[in-house]
Amino acid sequence: MSPYVFTLLIFNLGLGTTMTFASSHWLLAWMGLEINTLAIIPLMTRQHHPRAVEATTKYFLTQATAAALILFASTSNAWLTGEWAINQMSHPLATSTIMLALALKLGLAPVHFWMPEVIQGLDLTTGLVLSTWQKLAPFALLLQVSSTVNPLILTLIGLLSTLIGGWGGLNQTQLRKILAYSSIAHLGWMVLIIQFSPPLATLSLLIYIIMTTSAFLTFKLTSSTTMNALATSWTKSPMMTSLATLILLSLAGLPPLTGFMPKWLILQELVKQDLPMLAFFAAMTALLSLYFYLRLCYTVALTSSPNTITMLTPWRLNPTQTSPLNPLTTMLTLALLPLTPAILALVIY
Amino acid sequence: MTYLVSLFLLGLIFGLVAVASNPAPYFAALGLVIAAGAGCGVLVGHGGSFLSLVLFLIYLGGMLVVFAYSAALAAEPFPETWGDRSVLVYVLFYILGVMVVVGWFWGGWHEACWVAIDELKELVVLRGDVSGVALMYSSGGGLLMLCAWVLLLTLFVVLELTRGLNRGTVRAI
Repeated sequence: MSPYVFTLLIFNLGLGTTMTFASSHWLLAWMGLEINTLAIIPLMTRQHHPRAVEATTKYFLTQATAAALILFASTSNAWLTGEWAINQMSHPLATSTIMLALALKLGLAPVHFWMPEVIQGLDLTTGLVLSTWQKLAPFALLLQVSSTVNPLILTLIGLLSTLIGGWGGLNQTQLRKILAYSSIAHLGWMVLIIQFSPPLATLSLLIYIIMTTSAFLTFKLTSSTTMNALATSWTKSPMMTSLATLILLSLAGLPPLTGFMPKWLILQELVKQDLPMLAFFAAMTALLSLYFYLRLCYTVALTSSPNTITMLTPWRLNPTQTSPLNPLTTMLTLALLPLTPAILALVIY
Repeated sequence: MTYLVSLFLLGLIFGLVAVASNPAPYFAALGLVIAAGAGCGVLVGHGGSFLSLVLFLIYLGGMLVVFAYSAALAAEPFPETWGDRSVLVYVLFYILGVMVVVGWFWGGWHEACWVAIDELKELVVLRGDVSGVALMYSSGGGLLMLCAWVLLLTLFVVLELTRGLNRGTVRAI
């Protein structure tokens, strides 16, 4: 791909998200989403691999369907109530349809099926863009409509996403699919809390983006896309591989690591809202996710698989070049938890 | 006018059923053309005659190209359509679905949506859609430029996706 075209596409990827962020009108928000989808498509097929093309086709079809649903719901809302503003929707038909469309865009549970398939077909960098940057625009819309959506729909989608995200990842051996299911589960937590505390949902998204960035970049560093490759990845970069264990545990949400913060605050907020059973079920579904993260940890660093002696030395001979983003996000993934009071004071309250 | 608009609405529904149910691209694309034409008719009934004309010319212009290409790519000697049992099941299923939705919303807020509601049916100089076009060129200029930019982006996207032979996305492996 020509660097000029690449720059144009990256620029438009930013433009689409920025437009959706900046708009208070449904038509402009929809245009931003469409620009975003259009710009990512050639980036996804950059490798021209049949798997990538297949994944791109699936992605395009789902995103186009979701965008058409958003357009349909917002025009029928404008027809019924004469209101184009995003946060002023009032008709239940429009809000429910928009919620389902945004769930399809984000890959939330009842309509999540495209997500693992698409991520699996792409290389790790594009998968990273897809599971971080591409979530931002739909999430901004979700934040604005969440107060008008039926709370039952939000709760059901959220709980189902955490459940499916944990359940679907159980038997996977492909890292990209596991990361996709992890994305589904994390977004489920955000949707669960978004009706009670939108800033908390935003904070969860931010922390999820940091954590998944370090996971994707670490896997990219050792070029591992399956659990088998992960088992010998320590030979390429022993330090990052031992940190990968902690990154995965942070994604799982274990206490001394950053990933614990959103789960902790969300559970606290749910209990404060007098919904202890919901908090209980959400925590139980997190156990399902914990299982496959632990399985990955076991493969990465808690066991050393047998190998020939020449295979044990690549880290001495060819030093791996890490992305400059990786150390930053890894540190944030591992050590942000002590900042919880400050973040609470700045963001939530 | 009311009868005509209800006829167009029926054509729209059956055209979309044809798109959804037909396995052969000949008939599916034909259904799409019928649906688009009927949709333009509905727009005329609601007072958007200029909009409808633009949509008909541009959309059907693109649709005919797609129709020609898909018919050329997937030429079947015996294409199945509504008469065959396998397709008929789908047709009946979709029509049943439409009826269920109609029954669900019956008597609600779109009781009278097929009545011609042209608020500008008197002879006026500025019709709703024409003055809308004028507004798009005056106060909506920024958005118009944005749309032109997106069209340019689309051109690059399509060129990047369909570019030459062994470097391109669409190729035989």
